[in-house]
Amino acid sequence: MSFGFQLVHAKPSRTWTVLLSWFLFALGIGLYFQTAQKRHVGNPEDRVMPTISQMARGMYDAALKPAEDDDQPVVENASLAHRFLGSMLWKDTLATSRRFLLSMLLLIPAVVLGLHMGLFPYVGVFFLRFFLFFDKIVALSLLPILFIAFGIDELSKIMLIVIGVTPTIILDTVNLTRGVPNEQIVKAFTLGAHDFDVAYRVVLRQIAPRVLNSLRLNLKSVMLFLFAGEMIASTDGLAYRIALLRRHMGMDVIIPYVLWVALLLFLVDLSMRLLNRKLHPWFHET
Amino acid sequence: MILSKHDQRETAAMALIQIEDISVAYGSPPRPVLDGLNLSIEDGEFVCLLGQTGCGKSTLLRLVLGSEKPVGGRVLIDGIEHDQPDRTRGYVPQKYSLFPDRTVLGNITFGPEVAEFSLLNRFTARYFRRRRQFRQEAMQYIRRIGLREADANKYPEQLSGGMQQRVAIAQSLITKPRILLMDEAFSALDSGTRKDMQRLIRQLWRDTGITVLFVTHNTEEALYLGTRVVVLAKETPDRGSHVALDLDVPEPCHTEQIPRLVSRLENASGCVREPEEAALATA
Repeated sequence: MSFGFQLVHAKPSRTWTVLLSWFLFALGIGLYFQTAQKRHVGNPEDRVMPTISQMARGMYDAALKPAEDDDQPVVENASLAHRFLGSMLWKDTLATSRRFLLSMLLLIPAVVLGLHMGLFPYVGVFFLRFFLFFDKIVALSLLPILFIAFGIDELSKIMLIVIGVTPTIILDTVNLTRGVPNEQIVKAFTLGAHDFDVAYRVVLRQIAPRVLNSLRLNLKSVMLFLFAGEMIASTDGLAYRIALLRRHMGMDVIIPYVLWVALLLFLVDLSMRLLNRKLHPWFHET
Repeated sequence: MILSKHDQRETAAMALIQIEDISVAYGSPPRPVLDGLNLSIEDGEFVCLLGQTGCGKSTLLRLVLGSEKPVGGRVLIDGIEHDQPDRTRGYVPQKYSLFPDRTVLGNITFGPEVAEFSLLNRFTARYFRRRRQFRQEAMQYIRRIGLREADANKYPEQLSGGMQQRVAIAQSLITKPRILLMDEAFSALDSGTRKDMQRLIRQLWRDTGITVLFVTHNTEEALYLGTRVVVLAKETPDRGSHVALDLDVPEPCHTEQIPRLVSRLENASGCVREPEEAALATA
């Protein structure tokens, strides 16, 4: 059956590609503001769908006015950058980023453990069954236990992320390690390498780009657990702010915050991709 | 008579590679691959292991390599049993023969670097001095195997299959192993490149006096390369392979005689064909 045009072999032109790929964005934004406008005509006090001007005002307050819990005196004619650094948005971003970076750092031992599990059979049999089981525990169900065990401060939030994401990273690294062709390992031995040379000079180097990709895929899980922790027990952070503003129906700030988080995560992902390309020029994703 | 039945070597204890009564079986129920196989290889020989798919020639190579252990029997290298691969035996497989994350130069210098510097010793000034020497030595090998100096900083995927195997050979030879084990090393190459590679490895073998064990399923290749051709075959389908034919190839083996010898050797290796192998051969 022929439609008169090709589906599989179609080659969209540049214009069509641009038009089609941005269409849903335009449609979504257009529909939102049209609806918001309509609601505001009926009820000028509507808080569910803030208009652009309301969101701009909300963001101005969040990004350029001093944080409300700040003791520092308000400087009237401070520079824009200075005002941003004293704002609520910046403080929240900083608090969330710190937790995020700390959890990402804690994933490095997971990669190392996975490497050893995949390469050294005794380490593998020692840990693998345990982590396979551990992986099936729903991390969020551990949240109350963590709060009881570690208190409601930073440690429990970091632990939640580590417990939630570590097993995935470990098991993924084990699989990647086992995917390295045996020829490579044998070859390294015939060239005089010892066990740890093979682990760190042959296997780790080869799986590094794939591990980085696996970390990129798990960025969302990291953020999910981070936000869950922040929403339930925290006094700062982006998710804390979103949860807090929900009580006041502060949609004019919540929506920009959500977009800000998406933008940040996109930038982290992009920089990891660029870093991967820079560090591993020999690697091509298949 | 050009070929003579390989005489039994009495000086077995002197052999460089001594394979004694080796048995290997795979799967459950165990299906024998090698069955009481004996073979001894002298220093400086170029031995081609010939046989059909599934006859256990690669298995035999892995046993010599030490990456696999036999069910029965033992393999002695210079009188010593090795339980894992090491520097005495170089290895050039058909695929994955180079480290994809290292350049040509990095691949060749890998051996000298790991041999002299452990993981932590790499962070010393001496390492960086020595590395310069390793690189100079590697450049000599690069020229010797027929690569241009501009290729030194390329990654393996940027090279053709033949070039990759050239680098793999240089990578193995730079550590000066006594034995070079090659597993279908040229089988994925087109015939022109293959001929070049065969000439290269013959030349290197002559220059270095290294012992080569070369696994191939190509009879012509075996006859062209080897000073000795060992054919593995099964007597009956349910038994493992043994040495069906062990021939000295006089040097030089005249190329015009190869076709005649090919048919003779193929008869020897094809004395038993398993049904699925026969199907494979005709496919």
